[in-house]
Amino acid sequence: MEVLRENGEHEEEEKKVLVISNELQDLEEKLSRIKVHIPNVVPEFDWNSIDTSQLPASYKTNSAKEQMLLQLADNFHRQYAHLCPDRQPLFLHPLNECGVEKFVSTTVRPTLQPYPELYNWDGCAQFVSDYLTMEPLSSPITPVLKEPVKEKAKKYAVKPPRDLRSKFELQQVSKKEADIKAAQKKKQKEEEEKVMEAEKPTPDPLYGLRVHAWVLVLSGKREVPESFFIDPFTAHSYSTSDDHFLGIESIWNHKDYWVNMQDCWNGCKDLTFDLGDPVRWEFMLLGTDKPLLLLPEEEEEELADEDLDDFDKEEEEKGFDMPPSWVDLIQISRKEFETRCPQGKKVIQYKSAKLEKWAPYLNSNGLVKRLTVYEDPECVRVLEVKGWFENREDMMNMRQLNKKTEVTTEYFSPGHIQGLKAHSYKTMEPETERTMEFYSETRVDGLQKRVENAKEMTEYFEGRSDFLHYRHTVFGRRTKRAQMVLINTELNARPIVQIKEQFHRNPEKPADEDVAERIFMILEGRIMLTYHCKDDYITASKKEFIKWKDVDNKGNKVIMTSDMCISYQVGSSVKNKKLLHLYEMMLKLMEEEKQLRHQVWESETEVLEILKIREEEAAASKLTVSMYDTERNEKSRQQRETMERLMLEERQRQVEQDLDYLAPFLIQMGSTEKMSKWQALRLKEDCLNDFKHHLIDKANLIQARFEKETQELQKKQQWYQQNQLSMTLEDEDAYLTYCSDAMFRIRILEIRLNRHKEMAPQKYIELEEKLCKDPRLTEYLKFNV
Amino acid sequence: MSRLYDTIEPNVIDEELLQKAVEEQGPQEELGQLAKREGIDYKDVLELQLDFRNILKIDNLWQFVNLTKLQLDNNIIEKIEALDSLVHLIWLDLSFNNIEVIEGLEALVKLQDLSLYNNRISKIENLDTLQELQVFSIGNNNLTALENVVYLRKFKNLRTLNLTGNPVCENEQYSMFIAAHLPDLVYLDFRLLDDNTRELAEIKYQYAIDELKQGEAQALAKLVEEQAKQKELEHHTAAYVEYLNGSFLFESMYAEDTEAARLAYLPGMADLLETYKSKFVLICENLFAYGLKEHEKRQAEVSTFYECLQEAIQDSQQQGTKIILDFENDNQGLDVIQNMSNFEIADFKLVKYNEDISQLSDTLMTLEMQTVDQLEEIIKDFERNIADQVSTFIENVQGMMAQCRDLENHHHEKLLEIAINTLEKIVKSEFDEEMPDDARLLFVDKDTIVNAVNASHDIHLLKIDNREDDIITKANSWSSSVIEEVHKNEISRNRNRVREINQYIDHLQEELDNMESLEQME
Repeated sequence: MEVLRENGEHEEEEKKVLVISNELQDLEEKLSRIKVHIPNVVPEFDWNSIDTSQLPASYKTNSAKEQMLLQLADNFHRQYAHLCPDRQPLFLHPLNECGVEKFVSTTVRPTLQPYPELYNWDGCAQFVSDYLTMEPLSSPITPVLKEPVKEKAKKYAVKPPRDLRSKFELQQVSKKEADIKAAQKKKQKEEEEKVMEAEKPTPDPLYGLRVHAWVLVLSGKREVPESFFIDPFTAHSYSTSDDHFLGIESIWNHKDYWVNMQDCWNGCKDLTFDLGDPVRWEFMLLGTDKPLLLLPEEEEEELADEDLDDFDKEEEEKGFDMPPSWVDLIQISRKEFETRCPQGKKVIQYKSAKLEKWAPYLNSNGLVKRLTVYEDPECVRVLEVKGWFENREDMMNMRQLNKKTEVTTEYFSPGHIQGLKAHSYKTMEPETERTMEFYSETRVDGLQKRVENAKEMTEYFEGRSDFLHYRHTVFGRRTKRAQMVLINTELNARPIVQIKEQFHRNPEKPADEDVAERIFMILEGRIMLTYHCKDDYITASKKEFIKWKDVDNKGNKVIMTSDMCISYQVGSSVKNKKLLHLYEMMLKLMEEEKQLRHQVWESETEVLEILKIREEEAAASKLTVSMYDTERNEKSRQQRETMERLMLEERQRQVEQDLDYLAPFLIQMGSTEKMSKWQALRLKEDCLNDFKHHLIDKANLIQARFEKETQELQKKQQWYQQNQLSMTLEDEDAYLTYCSDAMFRIRILEIRLNRHKEMAPQKYIELEEKLCKDPRLTEYLKFNV
Repeated sequence: MSRLYDTIEPNVIDEELLQKAVEEQGPQEELGQLAKREGIDYKDVLELQLDFRNILKIDNLWQFVNLTKLQLDNNIIEKIEALDSLVHLIWLDLSFNNIEVIEGLEALVKLQDLSLYNNRISKIENLDTLQELQVFSIGNNNLTALENVVYLRKFKNLRTLNLTGNPVCENEQYSMFIAAHLPDLVYLDFRLLDDNTRELAEIKYQYAIDELKQGEAQALAKLVEEQAKQKELEHHTAAYVEYLNGSFLFESMYAEDTEAARLAYLPGMADLLETYKSKFVLICENLFAYGLKEHEKRQAEVSTFYECLQEAIQDSQQQGTKIILDFENDNQGLDVIQNMSNFEIADFKLVKYNEDISQLSDTLMTLEMQTVDQLEEIIKDFERNIADQVSTFIENVQGMMAQCRDLENHHHEKLLEIAINTLEKIVKSEFDEEMPDDARLLFVDKDTIVNAVNASHDIHLLKIDNREDDIITKANSWSSSVIEEVHKNEISRNRNRVREINQYIDHLQEELDNMESLEQME
């Protein structure tokens, strides 16, 4: 009947589950129910670890009502144990942190939290799971039971491959291949299964013996379509028919406690959660607010409130009601909420992986999460480390280090200078293997990716108006080692061997005038152009320019000859365009080649610059603080504090101004600079007397009005009795209305008078106290007492 | 006035003048040398400047088909002419000439900037086709009517207008009037039309402008409606059933039938005609609906065919492209061969490259042959399907037309019967109904009346036959033209491809030959 979810838990943790799920309960409009069972073996707990001195008295003692509740619970439990002797004892009143027995329902106090993230169950559960730390218990049974596991592994032996002979040769071959493939796949799968089996958690020796507490959210309110479970340690939700939940012993909330009377042979699948059904759910307290699912919400609330107010009077009639919770309201400060976990750090161990979480701003480098993946289940050989960052000034949000390839990849949010999106590298040394990705839409040149190694650089572009999408540069070796100076100028840049550019189709140009690829073979002095393929053609036009010598063997200047350009024009018998055009084209291309070389050098410079900036940023690792974060942002905080102080002062000033009860008397006295003790006393007396008169006047006024009303009513009644017989119906009606009105007025006056009588002495005393404390008088009055 | 004393002879645009202008304005220095050596094609010239040349008559410009900018200012041109072939012209300057009428600009649909400054023009006209017009300068002319400027409203892109120096500018309402009537204009007479003026103008001419707008809107609506009607009719015509959705055919039968009018006075004819007409129109409408449906079916068939054809062609093209790409990737080492020191290996490689080229040629040709076969097959299928469809259509049309003819025959018999009865009555003087003399003339004897009825019948039958023939001829000619086009396209596609392959192979071969000869030289 118990439930297996975790490797066991500590009682203290159960407490936490309860306490923290309080707010969840409130957020879920008190729909959640929690069930916990007392573990068979109550482990030793270091009670000294809790500082109980600051806790309110309600933690340390039981009120009379709580005492009575405990007796009721004991009685309930006795009956239960008698009726169901083979069931687990109920978890009714565990010891709290002060060692006092408390009924479980009273440990729940619904509290509304000011964080919108906690309004829905998922955010709330996530917080609770972050806030809790799992501490496994020592197993109550010896681990001898583990042995049969090894035998099991042999069950998955690889089956021999199948006989593959077949009639037709061709078929045979193909079939053979297919079968071999299938067999390989199968083998692989089986091996995987084997590994999986080996890595599978060992069968739980405590299966069905464990108890666990979790949260049940009932359907109905706040548009919850159907009931479901929440596991507080993982914040995952589960269907009520989930296999992991083997059964439910009991359920409680802050109002009542229910024992499950349904059979759990099939886990929780067949359970119904209509807690109003006394056959399926045995309630402990007979309250009027039985949670019938159909009951409207507001009514229920009101009933609950009334119950508390009129508790004493109606106890006998209504049975016993749950006393108010003894726990304090849960207060989660903004800081704690952001910190999530105690100490702001949490480590979760998975199979072959470790996940660490930190609160924002806890780490000076902005690290909030780190996942370490290991090669082996024992978590020794690191495979990969992933770190997530927040609020970094350099916009880096993730860094990934692959230990196998030694490649580090850093990812950036939009907003980094030069639009950097990701950067993967082995070393920060320039002219080595690296890939930089960019947010191309933020860059003027539309650069999307730049891949580099020692001899090549490839750039990919997106959305350019000149349709360029690819540029590949091959570098040669530097001729002179001596020129490897630190200063980066275009002169000592690596010599460029070849630049290749590719373009998308420009729909505005005819295909055979639209260049698809151009290769500048700089060392050989050749330029090759390939155009886009025309529709209905399979070959693309080509041109190859050869930059010949400038002068011929006779020393004449060569401008352009036909053998300087080899061209293949698709679908046109005309061999060459006019030399004039070709020459123009070549001049243009040569100019572009020059620009391109500069461009490549600029790209290299940009890489150097980014590397430099990255190094600086990594060294500084500054964090940004939002200006709305008034806790951390220094400027904002100062502003907020100033504003708060000003407001406070303003308020004080106003209070003083409004209630200067001494002012009229001070004016009477004339000079206020100097006052004798006698004068001060006199002033005080005057003021008090005045107030007394005022109060008496007010009382008299009310009294007078009261008497007047009463007299009038009496007169009217007399008149009525005299004329009763001769009256019309309308007159009678008018008389009756008058009467009820008058009665109402009289009653109001009466109440006011009574209240005034009650309040007057109190007000008088208050004023006296105030006067004693008044700064203008204290000086003179302090020796009076 | 100075021209009065000008002693220079009027000039014409001749070869010499053009050559000189082109050379002067063409490429300079090195490029110029090249250009001179090769000669300049007039069709490559984009801009031409022929100002201050005392030109009297525009001529000989037809070769400059790609010209975008032409300056003919400061001449003595009297008539705009011979510009029809310069369809790419964007910029035309005819200022400071002696032009009197705007004309001859209809073909220049791309024109954006037109200057007719300082001429003798008295009316803005004949510019309807220049919808791209942005800048129009017609200052210093003889424009007198302010209303004439409203003509410019139809140029939606017109932003700059120059009218200074025209008599019309003396009108005190001038700028207000123009601001109101040309709301998209930005600059008038080199000055920005500010919002203030525009607002004032709008208020002032609000009524007139509203009326104008309404008129324009109505004209536009009418145009749209007419276009829609025209389109529908075209659609019907394409289905060969135009005007069959009504009594058009029936009425046309009677339109040329002179006897019918007289026979209509026979007793009971009105009812008879009415029923005949309604039945006839019903058949026509059936035919109309059937025609449209069949038309759709034919269109669908054709588009499906072309889709598949395109797919097949694309497929073959992609294969071809891939083969060529593979070849080029495999043989990138030609340069390496060239630079190789070991001649034996180089020779070997060259031989292999040669083989590869012929191999490539074979592969591409085989692919093309295969494509041709494939396409031929589907074209045959298509041909058969189209023929089937058309013949079914024709059969059904004939059937419906036969129904029409039956109706006509039936009507004819009835008519004849009534006519003979009437004749008998008249003969026996029993006929007492009113009948005009014109009709009464028919009833002199039996022959006359029978002839009249028969003549009417013949005309009707002829009309029906003609309509039937019309549909059948059109359907048949459509089917043959569709098939012909498919064949023609396929043949030209095949020829193009074969030519392309040959050309490419030639190119490769030539490259190789060049290299070999180079080697030998070395």
